[in-house]
Amino acid sequence: MSQLTLSTNLQRTRARRPVKAGRRRGEIGVVGWIVIAAASLAALYFILGPLTMLVTTAFRGPQEFLPFEEGAHWTLDNLKTVYSDPALYRTIIPNTLIFTVGSVSVTFAVAFLLAWLVERTNLPWRNVVYTAVLFPLLVPGIVLSITWIFLLAPNTGWINVALRNLLYLGDTGPLNIFSMTGMIIAQGIGLVPFVFLLLSAALRSMNPSLEEASNVAGASPFKTFLRVTLPVLRPGLLAPLILATLVTLEQFETPLVIGFPARIQVFATKIFFELNPDSDLPAYGRAAAVALPFLIGGILLLFLYNYLIRRAESFVTVTGKGFRPTRFELGRWRIPAMIFVSVYALFAAILPGFVLIWASLFGYSFPSLDVLSSISFEGYIDLFNNYKFWLAVRNTFIVAGSSALIVTTIGVVLAWTILRTKLFGRSILDFVSFLSLGIPTVIAGLASMLLYLSVPFGIYGTVLVLVLAYSYRMAVATRLTRAALMQIHAELEEASSVAGGQWLTTIRKVVLPLLMPSLVASFVLLFIIGFREFTIPMILQSTDNGVLSVMMWQAFQSGKTMQAAAVGTIIVMLVIPVIFVMRRFVLARDGKD
Amino acid sequence: MRGVVPAAFITGLLAATFSVSAMAQTAWHDLPAVKDLYEKAKAEKEVVIWTPTQTEVDWVAAEFPKRFPGITVKGTGDLQAATKLIAEARANRHSVDVWQNSLGGMIEVQKRNLFAKVNWQELGIPPGNILFDGEGVAAHNFVYSALYAKNFVKDEDVPKTWDDLLDPKWKGKMVAEHFLFPRLLGFLALEWGPERAEKWGRAMLDDQKILITNAPRESFLKTGERILSVGDSVTQSFQYTQNGVPTGYTVLDVVPAVQFMMAVMRNAPHPNAARLLAAWMTEDEGMALREKNAFGFGIRPGSKSQVAAQIAKAKSKVVLEDLSTMQQRADYYKKFSALVLGQH
Repeated sequence: MSQLTLSTNLQRTRARRPVKAGRRRGEIGVVGWIVIAAASLAALYFILGPLTMLVTTAFRGPQEFLPFEEGAHWTLDNLKTVYSDPALYRTIIPNTLIFTVGSVSVTFAVAFLLAWLVERTNLPWRNVVYTAVLFPLLVPGIVLSITWIFLLAPNTGWINVALRNLLYLGDTGPLNIFSMTGMIIAQGIGLVPFVFLLLSAALRSMNPSLEEASNVAGASPFKTFLRVTLPVLRPGLLAPLILATLVTLEQFETPLVIGFPARIQVFATKIFFELNPDSDLPAYGRAAAVALPFLIGGILLLFLYNYLIRRAESFVTVTGKGFRPTRFELGRWRIPAMIFVSVYALFAAILPGFVLIWASLFGYSFPSLDVLSSISFEGYIDLFNNYKFWLAVRNTFIVAGSSALIVTTIGVVLAWTILRTKLFGRSILDFVSFLSLGIPTVIAGLASMLLYLSVPFGIYGTVLVLVLAYSYRMAVATRLTRAALMQIHAELEEASSVAGGQWLTTIRKVVLPLLMPSLVASFVLLFIIGFREFTIPMILQSTDNGVLSVMMWQAFQSGKTMQAAAVGTIIVMLVIPVIFVMRRFVLARDGKD
Repeated sequence: MRGVVPAAFITGLLAATFSVSAMAQTAWHDLPAVKDLYEKAKAEKEVVIWTPTQTEVDWVAAEFPKRFPGITVKGTGDLQAATKLIAEARANRHSVDVWQNSLGGMIEVQKRNLFAKVNWQELGIPPGNILFDGEGVAAHNFVYSALYAKNFVKDEDVPKTWDDLLDPKWKGKMVAEHFLFPRLLGFLALEWGPERAEKWGRAMLDDQKILITNAPRESFLKTGERILSVGDSVTQSFQYTQNGVPTGYTVLDVVPAVQFMMAVMRNAPHPNAARLLAAWMTEDEGMALREKNAFGFGIRPGSKSQVAAQIAKAKSKVVLEDLSTMQQRADYYKKFSALVLGQH
């Protein structure tokens, strides 16, 4: 953080001046403009392809033709069919609203508390907790859902059995995972790591001097939290809130596995069923029509976000003056905090992990001492003897790593351009990058397939096509880095510029180091999403570009439970060290303990 | 002339009889047409197959080269292959030689004239198994059944008819897959009529509280959370048992069955190897190996599988997926999907 100690007179005199949003063209230079132009074009290329595909597909029909096949034509039939269905208004929309509000509330409450404990308090074993919190992100959603069924199935769920024995109840219940409450809890906890990563980055970048000032002035910790911490963190809170809302809307694993038995249908499951008909081609047009509200919702949320953070200077906490975050002493709250973390870890990490490892060695056998003698490493041996597995490991690292790097790199340039320049069309860039969230992965995969099948160079069926197809998730990187960038005063860059630093030097030596926690968070998040992504590689798969998630899904579909669980376990084992390394890297850069 | 015609007829009849008899006695892979095809296929060195599940690819990749050395089988399991095949064809890219899927799942591709017409009879395939006028050949079947957890259900309690499942003793003890259950109702509607099928479906959902799920039913049967899996395939019972969940199946009064078929792609990169593979997978040796390796059973007339024999013994009515009822069944599926989703 040596750059931050460049405390100049210039910075002091500007301490209360608003952030300089604009920037003279001359300061950026030719190289800078080339970088910005390249990043902008790349972002438009990666996002507008699937986006255009989504919108046009909604207006193409009939179902027996692919959207751009000869015979397909422009039509409003998809919209009419989807939006004239009374069930949509009677059940699907109310269910979706309840599910989304409930899940996001659970996610936020848990994730914020965890992020605060890890980043701002003296909670012990923070590195371990950090990794444990991220665990649900590593485990395929379907495994997490099955774990909840193991625990809370009305007849044989472990917790229900224990409660019945304890309270002398009847043969079933008392808890039932197959309910709206069950869906909300399962989804809410499943999304905690996603929001945790975003919140912890914001909390880590926040200079605590304002909180300290509030404390010195005699405000209670609660008042400081409400009056200082929350307002300062607003961009850092709003971004994950909006992202979590859109991700929950698109999520269909929990509603399918847990909600479906309760006959609770939401928007995302409707898309799923449109894409899985009995005998016809998938109804891409209707699926896209169902997905359109995601885009509209995204647009509205973006306006709301921009409205709420319109006074960017309010959120600046990192100025030329260096800071070393102090941690709250938990004191007597240490034990309750540990219990809270342990309960979360038990349900979100330990039990799913146990189920995954157990299933890879014992299949679906109920855990007991008698079963231990039937341990089998067949699932792993089959994998290790299969050349496709090693190919999939290599491909998965290449695809997840490269796409995360591409998106994070483009995302930081976009965020900087949107926030620090007056470039014409920057709001369009902001808008487009944000809308990438509203594109269901199946549509992104389909768009990539149609696009890369028609290009004259033969990249279809290769690993490269997966890297390109994965790289549309720009919103994660731009929102994260934008929120962090808003907390950094532009004076630091101005100081570098005044001292003779070229644009690229300023970015490299001032901006990037300050943004590093957010960049790493973005990379890790995208890397993990890429590691477990299966919809896109399923659509674009060939005999040469298989990845681990597809291998797991294929084993699962083929009834090879042990092999599927073995692949799942290996995915987790491969990603955990990456998280540890990243975490250590961030801490080392921050000079923290 | 009068004497010549019967003589020629008898000579022809005898020749045909000897020919069929010779074909029957000669091992399939020794048929001249097959040997000739193998020689051509060897030059192509490999063949690419797409199937709905990876299991099919795996056993074929292991077994086919044993019978026909020098030809490597590559492939992948993909449920959404139809879209990809159509898109690839439009882009004039052709990576697939052979495709296996359900009859219904192949129609959209067949309509686009993407399958090659093959003389299957020359390759020893019975005429009754040839579909789409030579563009496809029948393989195994997805045989609907009610699976039961052997650890929780006694053999004597196993239901014998679909209506037996309405017995209150099964209330809260059954599970079904979200895609298969409305499909099952569609088949039953063909046999029973839509009203009775709907009434039965509603009773299963509302009275019997059958659990509709997207999760593997295996886990429910293992733990006893549910002890009957309704509308699952016979194949799954073997797969579950192999996975350590002792599971039985029951042959009920009506046996709905999806028909799987093979097709050689019109622009297959390895056309000879493709025909050889598809023919081998659907003749007796291939069918027997599928039964052994992937628990896929054929129940078409003339099938030699154990399940076909059990159905015949039980005198159950087979409702086979058929082109003539395809549209009707698809309409029923849509209707019953809405029922299962709780929308009607």
